[in-house]
Amino acid sequence: MFLKLEFQEHKLSSAGLSSATRYLLGILITVLSAALAFVIIRSEKAAPDLATLATNKLNLSGVENPVTAVLLNFRSYDTLLEIAVLLIVAVSILPDRLPIPAATAKIQFLSNMHPHSVNPVLVGLLKWLIPLAIVMGGYLLWTGAYTPGGAFQAGAVVAGAGVALSLAGHHRFIWQTASVRISLSLGLLMFVMVAAANAIITGTTLQYPTPYAGSFILIIEVAATVSIAATLLLLFTQLKAMVEFTMKGNNQ
Amino acid sequence: MTHFSIMMLLPMTVGLPLLAAIVSVIINSHRWRTSISTMFATIQTLIVILLLLAIPDADGLYRYTLGGWGAPLGIDLVVDGLSLILLLTTTVLVLVLNLYSIWYFSDVATSTRFWPLWWLLVAGLNAAFIAADAFNIYVALEMIGLAAVALVALTGTRTALVAALRYALVGLLGSLCYLLGVVLLYRAYGTLDLAQLATQTQASPLTGSALCLISVGLVLKTALFPLHFWLPPAHANAPAPVSAALSALVVKASFYLLMRFWLDVLNPTVTGITANFLGVLGAAAILWGSFAAFRTQRLKLLIAYSTVAQLGYLFMLFPLALTGSSPTPLSNAAVTAVTYFIIAHALAKAAMFLAAGNILASCGHDKIDKLQGLVCYQPLALLTFALAGVSLIGLPPSGGFIAKWLLLNAAIENGQWWWVVVMLGGGLLAAAYIGRVINIAFSQASTEKSTGPMKTVPERHSLQVNLAMPGLALAMLAILLGFNAQWILNLLEGSIELHLANAGGVQ
Repeated sequence: MFLKLEFQEHKLSSAGLSSATRYLLGILITVLSAALAFVIIRSEKAAPDLATLATNKLNLSGVENPVTAVLLNFRSYDTLLEIAVLLIVAVSILPDRLPIPAATAKIQFLSNMHPHSVNPVLVGLLKWLIPLAIVMGGYLLWTGAYTPGGAFQAGAVVAGAGVALSLAGHHRFIWQTASVRISLSLGLLMFVMVAAANAIITGTTLQYPTPYAGSFILIIEVAATVSIAATLLLLFTQLKAMVEFTMKGNNQ
Repeated sequence: MTHFSIMMLLPMTVGLPLLAAIVSVIINSHRWRTSISTMFATIQTLIVILLLLAIPDADGLYRYTLGGWGAPLGIDLVVDGLSLILLLTTTVLVLVLNLYSIWYFSDVATSTRFWPLWWLLVAGLNAAFIAADAFNIYVALEMIGLAAVALVALTGTRTALVAALRYALVGLLGSLCYLLGVVLLYRAYGTLDLAQLATQTQASPLTGSALCLISVGLVLKTALFPLHFWLPPAHANAPAPVSAALSALVVKASFYLLMRFWLDVLNPTVTGITANFLGVLGAAAILWGSFAAFRTQRLKLLIAYSTVAQLGYLFMLFPLALTGSSPTPLSNAAVTAVTYFIIAHALAKAAMFLAAGNILASCGHDKIDKLQGLVCYQPLALLTFALAGVSLIGLPPSGGFIAKWLLLNAAIENGQWWWVVVMLGGGLLAAAYIGRVINIAFSQASTEKSTGPMKTVPERHSLQVNLAMPGLALAMLAILLGFNAQWILNLLEGSIELHLANAGGVQ
């Protein structure tokens, strides 16, 4: 919905403030920041650190990477709500009109645009690059249990594959399909489902039964990867559509 | 076994709205989406009522350990009388606004967006009310902020988009200030759990800076004068049910968190001067908000400015609860009075925005000067507006009257008579701006054609009644609240005892 905003040349740099006000604001912010920095440097760090506590409990978390343990086990509720934030973004930018008349073709998420000229080198590269990116995403997802990696990184790489496909110009994404709506909400759906299942199994929401903790975390991460990749790709294609729309408007 | 089932209700207050949001994303039929939303809203109401019945058995406090890890490592949820009352207010308003929105959003494209965002907003609100962890509150604030921005932009008009963008930037600034404060608290005390923080906090420069940053962030989100500049355009340009939720619930969530931090978690850092400073800003908000409401040309802007004014009353809490003769900061009547005020204002303001939405829909505009003869063709909307107005002004026997009465009592008991003057003045100003609308609505339509309803809609009469009823019900509730004061006061008593138990650890 934000795409309808016509972007014109605004003089945002000055924001309508006089130069004296801007200097005063600058001085004020500098002084406040300096005071804050001074207070922080003078202060002492609290002795019992949560990081050591998390490391001590790592063997109970089902994964070996402390970051994944915190994100998806110790503080999984925060991550659950963050996935919900992603869904808010996705719903807000989901286009409401089809780019093509609905009757002309069967609506699929990925549709060929049948361009006049096809670059064979580009097609050849994409045939290698896109499967590679998807495999790489899978690897990052799997390795998140042991080393840095996980759903967000994997989702970003998979979305990158989609961006490459979109930039090549041979295909177009149609966001009004049921599969899109399911992919966008899959991460949150799986997370809520796992939380509910845990409540039945162990009696406490989001408490995984210890031997299966790793499996539950993997289920959530796979679903989250799909949603994150879909949301990032949606963001990219919508921004691209907005730029194209603006350029078309300027040319006329 | 019964204990187990009741415990489960607390995480369900967040899980259920999330599930409703997912279902309304996936389902692509307007009819199914609305029926399922109504079902979810009903279940949510039942859950909160069950929680309400269960709480007295648990000594006024319920703690739920998510993931079984426990406070410093994991995240807890906590509910007491105060958060329960806010949960109840939220769920009742969600149920009524849900019904209104079914008829209001008949356009498919808008409704596809509205329902998921609506439920995500509700999930964020509930998460904020039951949060017991400082970082978890940040995530909940982000959810509320982003969902609210997207809902404001729903109409897609240029003014709405500009208001939404400004709202987004302000919300972001507020969230980041809050987050920085939380980081400082973590450095100082090594925990994020609010109860553990409350037992450890001492007045120090670092804690003081944290309180400053957290307060600036939350005050920005609560739109206290002079940081209210984003509120009138955002609330006035949103669709009617969204305006109602924004004014009734969203600003209250950040105020509730401010209450928690000032009265409980970071209480040792609070000084009399800072508490009075917030009080002075609140007083300025009452006067400036009411004055701006009186001068504005548009009905929805009037109601939005009235929110700025009414939020000022809430900030009377800080000087009344934290300074003066009261022995312990949390035992006095100001907390009760302000909580009562929150409920009364939520009901009345939601009713008023729904009425304004109906007037806007039938007239095609909401210019106050051109509303002559409104009483003839929108009698129910005007009745709703007037009843809600009675509560906002604080006339007996409305909920607003009881709330103001409690607040005035608290001020007099503390010997701070100057707040009484401001509050009574604010009531008079409210009477002036509400009376102005009613006066014009009852006046004879002039001979000009432009004053009548833009579209005559006899065939949509049933829809008109459907749209009028939810607002009227809320306005009636706002009035009836005045007759059932004791029930809410009893619930709050439990909450205050809990606060004392928490604060006991400090002394």
